Amino acid sequence: MSLKDIISPFNAWKRAFEKPDTIVKPLSERDGADLYRGFHTNDIEKCIGCGSCEEICQNASIDLVDVASIQAKSGDSGLRPLIDYGRCCWCALCVDICPTGSLKMSNDYTWVTDDSDAFRFIPGVDKKKWDNSEKGYKSFKEAWLVNPNREHASEKAPDIRKHDFDEYAEGFSDEQALVEAGRCLECGICIQACPTHMDIPKYISAIRKGNLEEGLRIMYETNPMLEACGRICTAKCEDVCAVGHNGKPIAIRSLKRYIGDKTFRKKDEIMDLKPVQQTGKKVGIIGGGPAGLTAAFYLRRLGHAVTIYEQHDKLGGMLKWGIPDYRLPADVLQREIDFIIRQGIDVKYNVKIGKDISFDQLHKDNDAVFIGVGAQIGSDMPIRGMDTEGVYSGVEFLEKVSKGEKPFVGKYAVVVGGGNTSIDAARSSIRLGANAKILYRRTEQEMPANREEIREAKEEGADLMILSTPTKIEKLPSGGLKIECLKMELGEPDSSGRRRPVPKEGSEFYIEADVCIMAVGQKVEPEFSESIGLKVTKWGTFEVHSDTLRSNDKVFAGGDCQTGPDDAIRAVAAGKTAAYFIDKQFKG
Amino acid sequence: MKEMIDRIKQKFNAKDINQQKATLVFFTVEKKDLEGCVLYMKEFEGYGNLTMITAIDWIEKNQFQLTYHLHNYTNRTDVSIRTYIEREKPSMVSIHNLWAGARVFQREIKELFGIDFPGCPRVNDNFVLEGWDNIPPMRRDFDTKKYSEETYFPRPGRYKKDNVQFMEENLYPVEAEVKKSIADTVKKK
Repeated sequence: MSLKDIISPFNAWKRAFEKPDTIVKPLSERDGADLYRGFHTNDIEKCIGCGSCEEICQNASIDLVDVASIQAKSGDSGLRPLIDYGRCCWCALCVDICPTGSLKMSNDYTWVTDDSDAFRFIPGVDKKKWDNSEKGYKSFKEAWLVNPNREHASEKAPDIRKHDFDEYAEGFSDEQALVEAGRCLECGICIQACPTHMDIPKYISAIRKGNLEEGLRIMYETNPMLEACGRICTAKCEDVCAVGHNGKPIAIRSLKRYIGDKTFRKKDEIMDLKPVQQTGKKVGIIGGGPAGLTAAFYLRRLGHAVTIYEQHDKLGGMLKWGIPDYRLPADVLQREIDFIIRQGIDVKYNVKIGKDISFDQLHKDNDAVFIGVGAQIGSDMPIRGMDTEGVYSGVEFLEKVSKGEKPFVGKYAVVVGGGNTSIDAARSSIRLGANAKILYRRTEQEMPANREEIREAKEEGADLMILSTPTKIEKLPSGGLKIECLKMELGEPDSSGRRRPVPKEGSEFYIEADVCIMAVGQKVEPEFSESIGLKVTKWGTFEVHSDTLRSNDKVFAGGDCQTGPDDAIRAVAAGKTAAYFIDKQFKG
Repeated sequence: MKEMIDRIKQKFNAKDINQQKATLVFFTVEKKDLEGCVLYMKEFEGYGNLTMITAIDWIEKNQFQLTYHLHNYTNRTDVSIRTYIEREKPSMVSIHNLWAGARVFQREIKELFGIDFPGCPRVNDNFVLEGWDNIPPMRRDFDTKKYSEETYFPRPGRYKKDNVQFMEENLYPVEAEVKKSIADTVKKK
């Protein structure tokens, strides 16, 4: 043994008076590292209860539960995640999948209690001391498991597409559809936002599995106008998409179109709809638009005999006459309608109820009647010169375009209004060779038209004149129109929540144009609604029970003629609802 | 570093060379060259320390990737040597004779990925999973969620709600009834 070995134990004594490195009991603070994955925090205002955290948790430690203080609403299920810390392994997959970014982790990990049930709680709802912790693990761009970028189908350049009425947007390629479907979290938040509550996650999942036939069958369960909707739907589902909170929402509409485009040739074979037992009941449907066609399809599937009375020589309603071919090609719409009619539906074309057949007769001949006549008449503006030659209503103009009549637009067309009809009219006039100017009394932000439509119209050269309204229209000796206008300002918000436009004193100006297209709203044909003796609201729409769409004994009404001008998918939902309640009434 | 890369390219036909930073390079060699390559790195290039061995399950390619991370204490550089082996009955030459510490890594990989290292002492002993009765858990075809659902019982009183159904019940009960009933009219019988 060397001397060193004997002395070295005493060497330690030199530290006897230093501050110890060990921590004195009882422990007070022992912070985790800044990025430590500790107890979760959840911003319950931001959380939408989509359940992605529950779905991804590999230890089944998360349950979505209801919370008394939170109500379900559009885009928010009202449920919130409850975490069982007896199972949680702190892997943070739930944080990395969270589409809203509400779920995070604090760096707090020390908590001692005798009550093991206390380790099951709802972060954010059950208050904890770490709720406002800045430290801990938060997801970041590279770790986020959601793909925020949306696939874009190719479309023709504005300079090319503005010269014809051909469809300009192509559908997704197989690769694009797979990538886009792969972005979907299948949380189902979108289902509520769809008026007909399509099973969106299910058909997207079908794309992912490569089973488009299954996808088609799922869509027909809720919507027999899916090909049309795949092109022109207002896609309210995309507005609430969970991925849309921090990225671009899933292109649900394009995925719907993709399934339709890939399966339409074999639709009869795929759907394989066997004839059902006949009930002997007869239903008359007035109007062959999306509401009437949907009602007809499902009533037929319920075994009732259906006759559609259509005032035009073609079915489709506003989808046919109100939406230009470049958005919804006539052959796409026709093949979809043909499939519905093939189920054994009788159609009487060129028949106007009240003129060719009386409503009473129809009422007598059928066990139930569904009215889906839409809102076909363009509203007037209360200004002088509305009856001047060269002033059209938006719907009248679009119907002419759809019939291929090429209405006169001259060199300068002025379109008044900010809805989709106005944009369609402007883009159609551009395609007929005019320069189009859109007059709208509020600002672009308040325009009811789809953002996408507005953008595309501008790309095609439509000139947007906001905060302007016409006050008088006169014919010029040259043959053109002189449109006197006023500038507007935005005042206080009105009942719709949009700021009310107020005329600006002394701001009169005028523009010259060859035609003026008034797309300032539509209404139900008053002669029709008055002639059939049903209750109408002050807006001239049919007054029916809000759930069942029933008006009286055996008459039901739905679609635009009940809601006022709205989108196709709402009409489809109304047709479906009417079919159900008509059938229910028959069964007693 | 550059000269070293040239040498291993020549000697071991190293591919996929990514120099991540001045002091770290990744490269791939064939399975048969791996042992020779790490021996060479240890004896001639000064990479005396085996930092760790890791594995990745490339189930799509039906392969496992093994990565040998080595450190050179003299010039403070690292090399990471990748090699790919078959996923069916996976087996790799053991390097416990070069680094005794390799036993631990190899035993861990044997347990978590099921890759065998014949000849390695105690390679079949439990590492962290005592009494494991399933496929190795780090394999991608191991269903973690299914396993935890089957293995760990739920606490009494536990319940969960489906968000779609909850929204149906609270926001559109009538329309949900319509939807369910109408859907049946087109369902395949």
